[in-house]
Amino acid sequence: MKKRSGTSYLWRLFLLSVVGLTISLPFVWMVSASFKPHNEVEHPQIVPEHPRLSNYPIILNISPDPVTHKKLDLKFGRWYFNSLLIAFSTTFLQVLTSAMAAFAFARLKWKGRDTVFLCYLATMMIPGVVLMIPNFQILVWLHFLNTYHGLIISSAFSAFGTFLLRQFMLSVSPALDEAATIDGANPWQIFWEVVMPLTRPGLIALTILTFLGSYQSFFWPLILLNDDQLFPMPVGMLALNSSYGKQTELIMAATVLNIVPLIILFVVFQKFMVNGLQLGGVKG
Amino acid sequence: MKQAFLIAGLISLIMYIAAQTSLIKPKEDSTIHITWGTDPNPARTAQTTLFNKTYPGIALTVDPQDGDITKLLVRCVTDSGPDIIDLQQNTMNSLVGAGILLDLTPYAKQMGFDSSQTYSAIKDSLEIEGKQYRFPCNVTVDAVIYNKKIFDDHGVSYPPPDWNYDDFVRISKELIEKPSKSGEKHLAVANWSNVAFFKDLMAGTGSNIFSSDGLHCILNSREAIQALQQYYDLIYKYHVISTPADSSAISSQGGWGSGALNWFNEGKAAMIFVGRWYIVQVPNYPNLKGALGSIVVPRLKDHPSSSIAVSRAAGINAKSKHRDAALKFLQFLASPEYSRMIVEDGDSLPPNPEVAVSGNALANESVPDPAFHDSFLKAVKNARVLNSSPYIDDITVSRWMQEFVDKTDNQILTPAQALQTLTVQLDKQIRINLERQPNLQKRYEESTGKHYSPNWK
Repeated sequence: MKKRSGTSYLWRLFLLSVVGLTISLPFVWMVSASFKPHNEVEHPQIVPEHPRLSNYPIILNISPDPVTHKKLDLKFGRWYFNSLLIAFSTTFLQVLTSAMAAFAFARLKWKGRDTVFLCYLATMMIPGVVLMIPNFQILVWLHFLNTYHGLIISSAFSAFGTFLLRQFMLSVSPALDEAATIDGANPWQIFWEVVMPLTRPGLIALTILTFLGSYQSFFWPLILLNDDQLFPMPVGMLALNSSYGKQTELIMAATVLNIVPLIILFVVFQKFMVNGLQLGGVKG
Repeated sequence: MKQAFLIAGLISLIMYIAAQTSLIKPKEDSTIHITWGTDPNPARTAQTTLFNKTYPGIALTVDPQDGDITKLLVRCVTDSGPDIIDLQQNTMNSLVGAGILLDLTPYAKQMGFDSSQTYSAIKDSLEIEGKQYRFPCNVTVDAVIYNKKIFDDHGVSYPPPDWNYDDFVRISKELIEKPSKSGEKHLAVANWSNVAFFKDLMAGTGSNIFSSDGLHCILNSREAIQALQQYYDLIYKYHVISTPADSSAISSQGGWGSGALNWFNEGKAAMIFVGRWYIVQVPNYPNLKGALGSIVVPRLKDHPSSSIAVSRAAGINAKSKHRDAALKFLQFLASPEYSRMIVEDGDSLPPNPEVAVSGNALANESVPDPAFHDSFLKAVKNARVLNSSPYIDDITVSRWMQEFVDKTDNQILTPAQALQTLTVQLDKQIRINLERQPNLQKRYEESTGKHYSPNWK
């Protein structure tokens, strides 16, 4: 029995190692490619034959592009800042609006609440592509095209976030609200002082998920923005992948720098992220 | 909790204010600002700078596109599209059908960018039913670029002038079978695009995709099947082009890398059928410096050498608020100054043929040998475009062509089966489109003079 259990453990370990390696391979390749010269990028070897650091200074406009012998006109620092600004602001607003909406759907009693919630939830079933033109048209009417606030406000509301936080809030005992009410608290105070602190794992999970999504988003900013001063990093990097030639090694160097904040975020908050996803998925 | 939100809100606000105040805003003056929807590659900076210098009252900026037309469509249907739109031939029909592109015919002649100002080979790809909708930013025709070092290594003579596919097979076999002085083995051909190869063969056989009225697919014609059969034979009968399975196996070998372009770049393959745009890569591969030769694509028996001409070309947004300024950009594309910039970059052939009069005129830093560039000038004289149908969008046609050429490549279908099935599929889709779209029915009635009925023949 003991031997069988050991074998099973080894099998599980083996399978998990295979899955882990498969998942991490693209990441390893990305880091490896960022140190390769252009003519080695498509070689299958993970370890570069002639490793070089020079892809990073090229991206950062410190040294010239070896092909054109000119510095690339990349606004790398600006794009980095824009990515952080957009991700940070979107996350802040989305978590705040989702929490408020979730509180209304989970703790307040009002006529038609569940129907409205179902309708709100149903919007998650509509593919984003279908909503693209109407959403864009609204931004045109509001004169929000090619602006930071257009990009931030259009992503400030989320049915998924509301659903996730509602599930968390439903798990908080209603007796606490009643006790707070008896003590004279109004709904606003119950929201901030009672429910929000108890929903912290959910808030952190949503914060991480939203930040990851906003930080990496490509298509919506691409459509909305024209001015390269406003680009987030993924849109800015398009300059390295054009009909003029794909500079994969530079794209990979930029990507490695770009994901540093995400790695930090993930390492610090991974426990909350996993917990949040699990809880959000089963409570109801 | 409140504090955490307050701090986060404050940080967001500070970041927003910092970003907003550090934006460089255009000066409020009489300058007309126009946008060019194109890929944001580094060459565009020099091109827009030259335009802005040539036309001081206009400021042109790039509106970046990612090669997909979704952004363009979303922006154009909401009246916020770029003033100038870069497009490939396979999207022109769709954009004209959607009313996005401006008919340039009334302006072109007078402003010097009508289709007679560029190569006659691509005239048909700039027009629909006699109306001009775009002018080329560059023009691509395929020729065969070869690596002289590999030929010398195997002691094989360079391709002779006026060569045909028998010569091509003989030379390829020699390159594969003759031992090299270096001891290295080489591929004869780097086949970077099976559809491009097939299309060049279609040009060689004089075949086309649709009948002249666009109502029927003619890919099941004897000539088109002959073209695909020739491609198939080069792989499976003469074994001079790698099979897809062999290509995958080669890619996993150390030092080879994946992708046919890479094999040629790395000096692993002796020849490649490709446009002049290829030479923008040369500075990245010092081993190719001085080693490149070129020749027009081989001809099929009883046919002259011919390849496909394609162009990345610019049209004007029909709803552009600055139409006059945008039209000046097309005038700029037809100018010798713009063309000279394309020559220096090596980004295919320049749109103005007067700049591309000889190999000498096209020689640049990447490939200084004028003879190399001459082949592309010879190629463009005999090149042609494959037609399209107004009754089916070209993106679907391209996708299905790729699918069926892949099936032949992988021996799932014979060339005849593939093209016959593809013809049936395209004909069926044309019929469905006509049945569903009244505007197409109207077009059918106008062009045939017959009343539309679902059972049209």
